[in-house]
Amino acid sequence: MKAIFAIVKRLLASNKISFILTALVVLCATSSGDVVLSNGNYTWLLAVMTPFFFVFYDYTKLMYLGASKKDYFFGALISYGILSFGISLVNTGIHLLIEPLYPARTVINLMDVCKWSENGIFLAGLQQMVFLLLVMISLHVLLSMQAHWYGWLTDTILVAILSIFTPIAPLRGILSGFFQVIMLNGNAVLHIGVCLLLSAALSFAGLVVLKRKTL
Amino acid sequence: MIELKRVTKQYGQATVLKHIDLVIDEPGIYCLLGRNGAGKTTLLKSIAGYQNITNGTIQVDGKVITTSTLDTGVSYIENFARHFNLPVGKLLKIASEVNPNYDYEFASEMMERFELDAKKKFNHLSLGMKTMVSTILCLASNKSVVLLDEPVLGFDAIMRVEFYDMLTESFRKHPRIIVVSTHIIEEIAKTIQKLIILDKGSIRFFDTLQSVETKAFSISGLQKDVEAATQNLNVIGRDTVGGLATCYIFDTPSAPSASLEIHPLSLQDFFIQMVGHKGGAAR
Repeated sequence: MKAIFAIVKRLLASNKISFILTALVVLCATSSGDVVLSNGNYTWLLAVMTPFFFVFYDYTKLMYLGASKKDYFFGALISYGILSFGISLVNTGIHLLIEPLYPARTVINLMDVCKWSENGIFLAGLQQMVFLLLVMISLHVLLSMQAHWYGWLTDTILVAILSIFTPIAPLRGILSGFFQVIMLNGNAVLHIGVCLLLSAALSFAGLVVLKRKTL
Repeated sequence: MIELKRVTKQYGQATVLKHIDLVIDEPGIYCLLGRNGAGKTTLLKSIAGYQNITNGTIQVDGKVITTSTLDTGVSYIENFARHFNLPVGKLLKIASEVNPNYDYEFASEMMERFELDAKKKFNHLSLGMKTMVSTILCLASNKSVVLLDEPVLGFDAIMRVEFYDMLTESFRKHPRIIVVSTHIIEEIAKTIQKLIILDKGSIRFFDTLQSVETKAFSISGLQKDVEAATQNLNVIGRDTVGGLATCYIFDTPSAPSASLEIHPLSLQDFFIQMVGHKGGAAR
């Protein structure tokens, strides 16, 4: 466990660029008018950037330092858990404490857009956390596959699904249904359950990909 | 213990490793020699589980090694290994945290001996110093198998001598299998126990240095005398100039003859004759 936590520490420490960029965007982004976007939404940027560093920057270096693939795998998962908790905490904090101070009449926070706020602030925060966990693990798996043919195949399939499903109404319904389950979902139990299940399934896929990863 | 059975590695149409059978069952310092492109790095990376082989099996301490092996028990470092751009001291500390078996005391001692500035960031080091950091990290890992790929690249003569001392000291402190791939043959001879020569993806030679010292020699003289003297011996190379010939032998030496000159082969000459090339051209 000591090795795993050392890897978590290193992964988070070498993710400075993501932290700084996210902080800059959160602090500096402005919008005007009666309806404005909450700056808290931009904290999600950290969830999008982090997997790039974990996969492309940290993996090789940790291997050369003598870490095992198993410890890297669990270290990355724990780091995603910590980050999703942190991001959710900050955005929820902004939603509760800073948004009421905005001069605009309406402040849009993704927690409201996704209908999570309907379940109370604690569950909303939890829903946000599991959703961000799912986003980070999905990105991690997708990025890890890019060195292999099946990574490119997955990219092609995803692009094909989006381009074919979007213009055809019945298929668009399926696509929107999927996003309503994993993201725009007011049913906290269903949402949390689906996100955790998908995260577990994707983690397993990530482990399979990691086992094939070369150096 | 490292055990390779019928190991073949192909990159597209090119076969880099050809049906390699190799058993390294005793702790020791082994030197892996081979020309550029002989397959040394591929072999070492495959043993470390950093890449998959096309056919055959690799086992380390009874554990089958592939990229799927999550904990191989092998430490491998290549000369251009990239590390976190952190101060050297911190890098060694992190290595001790991510690897529970790491010998931090040895690493710190080596850092001092090689006058590595603990506060200097990795990217600011010279090529030789970078390689030294990688080598220290690998040797201090305390894994049962340590693979060093071209560890003396970029070292000056003094650093090379220090490196061979470090290798011996590390082995004495923690006996295990250490395989060193290098091109500087003569220098490492004092440090190693066994020699592995890889040529065009196949193992050409795997034996002790002592066997090279006792069995590798050259016989020079008139071509007909040399041919007569070597007809029942294992000839590994031959040079002919006019009516004179030199045969390179790896065999039990025969009785000396007045008309023939017999000289022991240096390790480098033995290697050149074993791989059967000179000046880049096949003989």
